[in-house]
Amino acid sequence: MKSFDLVEPATLDEAIALLDSQDRSVRAIAGGTALMLMMKTRLFQPTRLVSLRQLDGDLRGIRVNEGGGLRIGAMTSLAELEYSPLLAGTYPVMSQALRTLSNIRIRNVATLGGHLAHGDPHMDLPPILLTLGGRISAVSRRGRRWIPISDFFVGYYQTSLAKDELITAVDVPGQSPGVYCWYEKFTARSADDWPTVGVAVWYSVDSNVITEARIAVSAATERPMRIAVAEALLINAPATRQVFSKAADAAADEVQPIADLHGSASYKREMVRVHVRRALEHALNSRSNGAG
Amino acid sequence: MKETYRRTIRFKLNGRPAIAEIATHETLVEVLQRDFSLFGARESCGQGLCGCCTALVNGIAVSGCLYLAAFVDGAEVMTVEGLASGNELHPIQQSFVANCAFQCGFCTPGFILMTKELLDRHPHPTTDEIRHYLSGNLCRCAAYPDIVHAVEAVSGARKV
Repeated sequence: MKSFDLVEPATLDEAIALLDSQDRSVRAIAGGTALMLMMKTRLFQPTRLVSLRQLDGDLRGIRVNEGGGLRIGAMTSLAELEYSPLLAGTYPVMSQALRTLSNIRIRNVATLGGHLAHGDPHMDLPPILLTLGGRISAVSRRGRRWIPISDFFVGYYQTSLAKDELITAVDVPGQSPGVYCWYEKFTARSADDWPTVGVAVWYSVDSNVITEARIAVSAATERPMRIAVAEALLINAPATRQVFSKAADAAADEVQPIADLHGSASYKREMVRVHVRRALEHALNSRSNGAG
Repeated sequence: MKETYRRTIRFKLNGRPAIAEIATHETLVEVLQRDFSLFGARESCGQGLCGCCTALVNGIAVSGCLYLAAFVDGAEVMTVEGLASGNELHPIQQSFVANCAFQCGFCTPGFILMTKELLDRHPHPTTDEIRHYLSGNLCRCAAYPDIVHAVEAVSGARKV
């Protein structure tokens, strides 16, 4: 790694002022676990890093927001999320996913804001958040805007966050009753590896008929994304294995997998088929009725 | 606000005050080795996967190979060298010896520090919890069963 300016502002305003809307070599750093990997391999050579470490008091923690959902500060570590009784009570699907997200040392240091801003399609929480809905608070010198999670991931390591914007919080809406959620993570090599395919599902069932459905696929694709054609097949259909298989086939036909060291494109397409079906089944079998 | 490529960091290292002159890009494991001759944390995979570079920062286990040394300014750092009191090994270390929980020993400091964090959080973990907690540490000699036994043994009769 090369040396760089490392600045540690004490306030959010100072931090924002130190970012640069034009210069790609200036970036914010929170836990730094993902950024350090890019720096060590020289994929990213910063001229200036703006450390958010001194700001974390204001931006850390999980609380219930106005609508009965959760507001999670961007500097909340993934370990804090993992151990949060509030998160486990509202979205155990997230708590479960965090248990197999990288390893404990990484979760101790990595933050939710960094996890999202990095835009890596292999991350575990983005597909889940895409199914839960929600929004991301982004702050810059121009003020604050809320980015719907559905508009956030725009490409391979690309988000809709401007270069001079910082994530400060993530809002996740309250869970409605009668909803089944699941996250299915498939790692092709070792259990703690990055996923080859990640699938998050969220659907509600009324009298054994699916009334609403969301399916998001990650890791196999250039970005975490909802699969609308597969979702449409579920709606107004019974929650059966046959219906789940049809939706899984539609998802496999729809995705455009990217080959990487976790699997070839054709292999990933088949794994999307298998894991969309499994996620839909496991959600139902978990019988947690809104608890994931 | 500081704005330089080099800086002085002041922190507590294994209970004693420490000062180091570092470059901003240097990692914790680099500084521990170069400035303090502490080689218990060692870089192996360089990607935060293997756990050989584990150090505790304010009691929290981190991968020293992915952690900027600048970030320990003002913090308390513990390495495996800080566990023993004088000539008396820490109970976790004693249990690793008694249970033959290593072969070559390269990964051992990381396993011991992860065990320390585990027992600080969960004094009486189940075997599943131990396995889950240590799943991010790799032992290429595959001494895993003995490592789990060592942690089970020490968590049963641990001095607090």
